[in-house]
Amino acid sequence: MKRTVIETNHLVKTYRRYKKKEGIRGSLTGLWKREYEEKTAISQIDLSISEGEFIGLIGPNGAGKTTLIKMLTGIIAPTQGHLDVLGYYPNDLKNEFKKQYAVVMGQKSQLFFELTLNDTLRLFKEIYEISEEDFQKNKNYFVKLFGVEDLMDVQVRTLSLGERMKMELIAALLHNPKILFLDEPTIGLDAVASKQIRKFLKEINQKNGTTIILTSHYMEDIKALCKRTVVVNHGSKIYDGETQELFNRYQKNKKIIVTFDEQDMDITLKTPNAVLLENTLHKKIYKVSKRSAKDLLAELMEYDTKDIAVEEEEIGVIVERIYQEGSACHA
Amino acid sequence: MKNNIKKNLRVLRELFYLRVHGLTVFRLDFFGPFLVDGSLFVIQLLAFEAVYANVDTIGTWGKGEMILYLGTFSLLNAVNMTIYFFGVNNIPYKVRSGEFDLYLSKPVSPLFHLTFENISPGSVPLIIMSLCMITYGIRILQIQLTLTAIFSYVFWTAIMAVLYYEVEMVIRSFSLYLVSMARMEQIEEAGIDLCMKVPGTALYGIYKVIFYLILPYGIMATLPVQSMIGEMNTQTAVYGTGTVLLFSLVTAALWKQGLKHYNSTSS
Repeated sequence: MKRTVIETNHLVKTYRRYKKKEGIRGSLTGLWKREYEEKTAISQIDLSISEGEFIGLIGPNGAGKTTLIKMLTGIIAPTQGHLDVLGYYPNDLKNEFKKQYAVVMGQKSQLFFELTLNDTLRLFKEIYEISEEDFQKNKNYFVKLFGVEDLMDVQVRTLSLGERMKMELIAALLHNPKILFLDEPTIGLDAVASKQIRKFLKEINQKNGTTIILTSHYMEDIKALCKRTVVVNHGSKIYDGETQELFNRYQKNKKIIVTFDEQDMDITLKTPNAVLLENTLHKKIYKVSKRSAKDLLAELMEYDTKDIAVEEEEIGVIVERIYQEGSACHA
Repeated sequence: MKNNIKKNLRVLRELFYLRVHGLTVFRLDFFGPFLVDGSLFVIQLLAFEAVYANVDTIGTWGKGEMILYLGTFSLLNAVNMTIYFFGVNNIPYKVRSGEFDLYLSKPVSPLFHLTFENISPGSVPLIIMSLCMITYGIRILQIQLTLTAIFSYVFWTAIMAVLYYEVEMVIRSFSLYLVSMARMEQIEEAGIDLCMKVPGTALYGIYKVIFYLILPYGIMATLPVQSMIGEMNTQTAVYGTGTVLLFSLVTAALWKQGLKHYNSTSS
């Protein structure tokens, strides 16, 4: 049986925020008398994660995903509840604990933009107290894995977003962390770069046994990588179970985007349940049930199309459906 | 403890190398501070000359003592600019922008990391110019230099450099508790500006309370000079050491509690 690396019980995080009254009068009154409201960012979350798991953490904007990651890494302290990560209380900020995890935030870079990755890695070697032998071994392994041999001596600021994310991951993985927290690592990346990043993450999880907790807005990331998914909304856990089951049960439709060279293409469809969501000069977007998606695609292929793309339903839709069908039995 | 010091020294070395690499990318970044700091120093000297063309003494100190005082304050300021100012000054911004999160997730003291990540080699000439000024002051005063006098002066200058850092840190630690710093750094600027021109010995009443206790810029260059010219008594020495210790405790407590209080920013 694999050991538990993350354990939370009734975890709560609340913030106090100032509620400003409208208008200039409200602003001036606020100088002397203020109204505050309690905002619950995380509410009674119980979570248990075992060594080597690859977990997806999803939810709409403001659901509490990042707050949860920040508590698990010790960046912020919980308001209430029990929290144990690798046997430590994260907010004690012990160096022994911090050596055992890494965090990559898609919107915050840990690299020095004017310098090269080689320069930055030297600093990380000293911060994480990595021996020269391990440093060279790990660096060479990840550089080869990510295929960035030619980019190691290039200023970070000149790299593309996809290349930079690879560099962020190399910097994060250099010390062989037991847990890797990834907060939106594929945000803003194109399809090719996202696919590459997914491939590397899969390899790191399988070969090195690194426990990975991934938050993402892209359902493709979660579907391709995570065996287990936790869905949070308004700070509460509303689903915790197998990713496959989540998609089978709650993702009922697909979105099909078709573009044409010809303007105002006249299309008559026979596929049942196909709904036209958007109709512009060169583009049509359909929503169709998962079962009928194949039929609709076959039908559309008979027309002179320029491009066809199939997209998963957005996280917000899935969250809404979990709510409608009741979440208690899954959380 | 020993291992931790060794590790911090290695991290410090790498931070220094990274800083030098970074500064050499843009030539103006590297050479600019030499020019700017040099010009500021000359302006200070000219202001000093203008004052002493009209007055003979400030408080009980004449021109020689004042040159020594100005040189000492300039040295403290130069050490600050070279080693930690640019790192410490960025703390409120890093807290507001959420960049501070990354410092908390690294296994090295975030305070150490932030303090030494922006060392400025461009301010080193300011240290040399300040030392020249101190030497000139000593010559004017015709002070017989003894080992005890040198040791005493170096000791007081060193602990006052620590105090200078601590006052900077106390002011910036508020950013961990408050969203807006309300330009609190400007109080610091005004204090430094005044105390660079007027020694602590010339301050009385409420000014003495403010600049000896609340924002102790008034003692920072005064005490080293007093130790050099033989004006320091036991009471002043105890007060100076006590102030440094008090500020060390306040800085450590504010920072430690601030880390617990830190709520990061929304992503």
